[in-house]
Formats: sequence, C-alpha cells, structure tokens
Amino acid sequence: MPQIPIIMPQLGESIAEAIVVALKVKAGETVVADQEVIEVETNKAVMSVTTPCAGEIASISVEPKETYAVGAVLGYVEASEADAAKFTKTIPEPPLEKVAAEVPGREEEKAVAKRQSNGAATKTMPGGLPVPAKTKGAGFLSPRVRARMEELHLTNADLAGVLGTGAANRVTVKDLENFLQSLERHSLGEASALRNGVADAMRRSWTRPLATIGSSVDLDPVLTDRKQRDPKPGPALYVLRALALALVEQPAAAGKLVGNRVAQSKSIDIGVAVEAEDGIVVPIIRAADKASLGELATRYAELVGLARQRRVLPDMQAGGIAAVSNFGSFGIEWGTPIPLPDQTLLVGLGVGKKTPFWDETKNAFVPRTEAQITLSFDHRSLDGGGAGRLLQRVIELLGAPEKL
Amino acid sequence: MSITYLEAIREAQARALKEDERVFIYGQDVGAFGGAFKATKGLAKEYPGRVLDTPISEDAMVGAAIGAAIEGMRPIVEMQFADFSSIALNQILNNAGTHYWRTNIPCPITVRLPSGGTKGSGPFHSQSMEALYAHYPGLVVVTPATVEDAYTMLLDAVAVDDPVIYCEHKYLYYHLKADELPVDRLPIGQARVARAGRDLSIVTYSAMVHESLTVAEEMAADGFEVEVIDLRSVKPLDTDTVLASVARTGRLLCVGESFPWGGVTAEVIARVATEGFHLLDAAPRRLNAKDTPIPYHPNLWSAHRPNAKSIGAAARELLRE
Repeated sequence: MPQIPIIMPQLGESIAEAIVVALKVKAGETVVADQEVIEVETNKAVMSVTTPCAGEIASISVEPKETYAVGAVLGYVEASEADAAKFTKTIPEPPLEKVAAEVPGREEEKAVAKRQSNGAATKTMPGGLPVPAKTKGAGFLSPRVRARMEELHLTNADLAGVLGTGAANRVTVKDLENFLQSLERHSLGEASALRNGVADAMRRSWTRPLATIGSSVDLDPVLTDRKQRDPKPGPALYVLRALALALVEQPAAAGKLVGNRVAQSKSIDIGVAVEAEDGIVVPIIRAADKASLGELATRYAELVGLARQRRVLPDMQAGGIAAVSNFGSFGIEWGTPIPLPDQTLLVGLGVGKKTPFWDETKNAFVPRTEAQITLSFDHRSLDGGGAGRLLQRVIELLGAPEKL
Repeated sequence: MSITYLEAIREAQARALKEDERVFIYGQDVGAFGGAFKATKGLAKEYPGRVLDTPISEDAMVGAAIGAAIEGMRPIVEMQFADFSSIALNQILNNAGTHYWRTNIPCPITVRLPSGGTKGSGPFHSQSMEALYAHYPGLVVVTPATVEDAYTMLLDAVAVDDPVIYCEHKYLYYHLKADELPVDRLPIGQARVARAGRDLSIVTYSAMVHESLTVAEEMAADGFEVEVIDLRSVKPLDTDTVLASVARTGRLLCVGESFPWGGVTAEVIARVATEGFHLLDAAPRRLNAKDTPIPYHPNLWSAHRPNAKSIGAAARELLRE
C-alpha cells in the first residue's frame, strides 16, 4: 500500500518553520482525511497539521519542541490505492537535489528535511522570507541599519511599528527602506525644533522604569486661601510650594540614581510645565522652598510669560529636581505624566470637581472641590512607600494653604 | 574551437615564449615530458633551449630563476604541485620578495603553483598556498578562476616586474572550457562581478567561484539574488569592488578553499569591518576548508572543503540574520 507523506504546510506568509507542540496520533492509528494529527506553533499562532488522506499512520518522524521547516516530511500515512489517489498536496521540491549530481562530492547527498536541535537556526529554508520561531537577535540593529538611521535622524522609537523580517523579526535595512517608502504615502511635514526637543526628552526619560501613584486632594482650602492673596497664585503654584516644603523634609525622594551612586541636589529647584505652541517647556523656579508663595507667584507669572513667547533659555530649564504639571487646566482629571529625563519626580494636578465627601464629624455627605493629584517617579530611585509619603505630605500641606 | 583552463595556460606560455625572447620555462619534467599536467606540452620542441628540465630541487629552481631575472630574463618556474613550493620559501620570500626593496633592481619571476584539491589527492597534493605568499610584502599573488583569466593573467604575470605567484587550480584544468581565447582583459588587482545580486555578496576566488555561482543559481529559485565577486588576484586585493558589492547587498560571505586560520577570507572581512562597517546588515561570515590536513578519502575530502552545499547553507544562514 502506498505511503503518503504528512507535510509541514505553508502556515502563513513569510513563515519558514514551526515548532512541534504536540502529537495527537501514534503509528498504527487509523485516521480520516484532514484529521488534525500534529499541533505546531509559529511566532504568530498555534496551528494543526492534518492528514493528506485517510488510512493508517505508518510513522511520525518528529518530536515535540523541535523545529521543522515548511515542506518538511513529518510522517507518513499508509493509504489504500483509492485514498492515495485523492492525495492532492504536493511536496515542494528540495532545491538542493537538482544540482547534487553535478557537483563533486555531492552524489551521496539526499535532500531531506533536517531536524533542528534548536530553532535558532535552520539549515533548510524554502521560498519566502525566513521567520524563525525563536527570539535570538530580537532588537538587534545592524551597523548598516544604525548608519542609515543616523543619516535620517531616526531613533529606535521611530521603528517601533516596523515588524522586521530578519531573525526574530529584527529590522533589516530592507525593512527600513520599505518603511521609509511607505511613509511617502502619507502627507509629510517637518517637525518643529520644539517638537523634536520634547520628543528627545521624552524618549530619554522613557528609558527608565517610571511609575505613577495618585490620590484625591481637597482643593477648597486652596481656593479659599487664593481669594485672599494678591497676586492670586494658581492651584499649581500651591502644589509647587507644598512639594518644595515636603522635599525639605524628605530630600531623599528627589535623589537621582546614577550608576551605583545617588546624586542629591543641594537646592530645591522645581520646574513648571507650560504649554507652548507645538510643545511644552518647563522653566524652573530656583530654591522654591526659600521664597514665599507671593514671591513665587510673581516669578511664576514672569516665567509663564516668557514660556508662552518661547523665550525660556536653556539654562532656565536646566537642573531642576522635580516638576509640576497642571494637566487639570485641560479639564483632565487624571494622568501619568513623564518626569523630565534629568529628574526623578513629577507631580500632576487634575481638574477640580465638586464631589460628595463623607464627613465623619457631620455623619453626612458634604460637597467639596476635589482634584486628583499624581506623583510620577523613577522607580530605580524611589519606591511606592517613599513616593506615597511624599505625596501624602504634599496633600497635608495643601490642607493648610495659609502656611504655604 | 574549445579550450580548457589547462590549455589556456599552455597557450599563454607559448605566446610569452613567442613574443618575448627573455622568457624561458624552468621546472621538473617540463621539457620533453611536457610537465606533470602537460601544461608545457610540445613547448620544448617549439622553443628549443628555452623550456628547461631541472633537478628535483624547488630551492635550486627558484634560486636559478631569480638570478636570471636579476640579469634581465623573464623566467616562468613550474612547481609540480603548489605544496612543494614550501621547499623554495627562502628563495621566494627572502630573496625574490625583498630584492627590489634592497637593490632597486626588479626580480620579474613567475612561479606557477598547481593548487587546490582534486578527489583523493590527500595532504601533499591539494593545498592552496595563496594566503601564505600574500602575507609577505613584495609578491603579487593571482588566483585565476576562468579560462580567460588563466590565459591573460599568466601573460600579465610574465610582464609584471614584481615576482608573481600564479595559483592555477588543478580541479579547473579539465573541467573548465571556453569557446576561444580572450582578446580583452581586466588588469591584475581588479576584481570581477561574476554575478550581480542584491541580497548577499559572496566574495571568493579560484575554484570556489564556480561553487558559489552554483549556489547563486540555486538560490535564485528561492527568490534570493546572490552577488558573486571573483577577486582574481588576492594581492593586490580589490577592496573597492568588495565594498561596493557589500554596499549593494549589506551581507558578506567570504569563501576560500584554503585553511581558515588567517588567510584571504579573514583579510577581506577585516577590511570590510574596518572600512565598511556601516554597510553591513549582518555580521560577515567566512567559509574555508577545515583546519586539518586535507584527507585522501573522497567523502572526507568533500566534507573538508567548501562546496555548493556548505556555501549554500552558510549563505542561507546569513540571510536569516
């Protein structure tokens, strides 16, 4: 009776090989046509290999956890002549066989499906682009890709959306060129210098493990206090002042980890995020712990004015230890803003909303203006406990704004 | 008309003898016998007194040729096998290689080395010596891979004022045929794009050019366009052509039949890594014979040297990176 091969099928575009996950039949078992007999896994999905025709499993020549190329013979079905005649799948011709006879020393070679001891490298590869199931080489950018990226001022982040065709989907130079070509279908414009600057800062900051915690804060004391002051400081400035005072008590929270050392600034300089056209600038208020809220309000107004005119010089943005972002000014309640790359902390303030608050003394709900306050931090330098104590202290200080 | 690689070598020597009376051929049994491989067949009769048998002493052969060259002659020395030229290393490296630098007097000898493997030839009749000679200053080392190059490069070797090591491949002697002798030629020191491609550059020379071309044809069926560069001369080495090829493909596989340690493939990769690092889309690879003496048994010999199968496997692995 004829033996019909069970072949690793073409599992999808640009898939060259698959790992055998499970064998569902043994030699000697009776099978029907298109019965699922072997389960295989690619980097995209788990799929089944089916029998080419009905019959009896003559042999299964593969083992679980091993990688086999598309087109490899995985086993044989012993079929009746009639069933074998229905066999329609064809084995792709191994390319090596054709030349075997003409090349010295190759007569003895038979092109056979090669079993791989591990999937990182396969010796046979049928047509189409190779996509190994393993991850060796993932994230690698070749010198050529790097050189081309440098030429075009691209960064790793720009390639985030490119699924490469190299080992473990690494981006080859061809993938890069294809990606660049695909961009031509979009409308393309130059990014402003400020946009590029922000992008660069955010990319650098994002290389760190960043975390955010948040809590509710009662804004009514601040809003009441604010009415009695001249000039009137904004809520963000109260937060800045409270943060400065909290950091006097807990200076370690703003420590910067560099290698295996901690850098601690001697001055409590805190930045304020100000939206500018097509970007954001963060001018810094120096020694925020040593100036009164009134003085801060004047300096803050000046800096905001400069920022809106984009006249904040680089040294006015350099060297802070923390920053405050008033994302509530956009009507937003909550966010996870990213600290500046050279800072460990960023406090965010959401929009104030009238909220029912359970008052234990009155044993009733009372209305209060509540906002969400967040603290984003570099988790290398600071843990949830330290960050929580700092944020709690800021909230406490905001409860007595007259002392700020 | 059809002419083999070996016949082209004979024809080039005949033409050199005919056109330049300073030329003479010196070697063991090159006279009436016509040479171990018949590369000088009939030349002793055509050019009496200019195709001379020597004692079995490679040292003496090259020494005498150097003396004649210094005095204005253009000797061609035939080694029976490249392997035995090691006996003449002192004459070739220390005397011929340094002569012009020491004296300002050129030493235009040509040493023909029947090189490379044929089935069953074993450790003393299969070796490729080009890397060793290329290592020393003062020598030109050529490795023709085609009938055309076998002819023109031998004529050039005789014409060049420097000592030239002419590495002719024994496997190509009878296997390679051309319709006619060439009229045009590329100069020594210029590599040739034997096959244009865009996915991978195989840089090679001598017999491995043909194995690599087989691989390129085979891989074209899978949609890969492999470029094959025939270095032609390993010293001088045409780095520009190699870099231009790597610039097109981003991937480099160097293939040589000789031993792996040091060598021509290592030199090519060192140059590309230094001057063309930014062109590489994958780590460059090389494929050589195994680092053992060359085996006699045909199956072991096949496993020892690179062939279309092992080159193809290396190429495919490189394309997967």
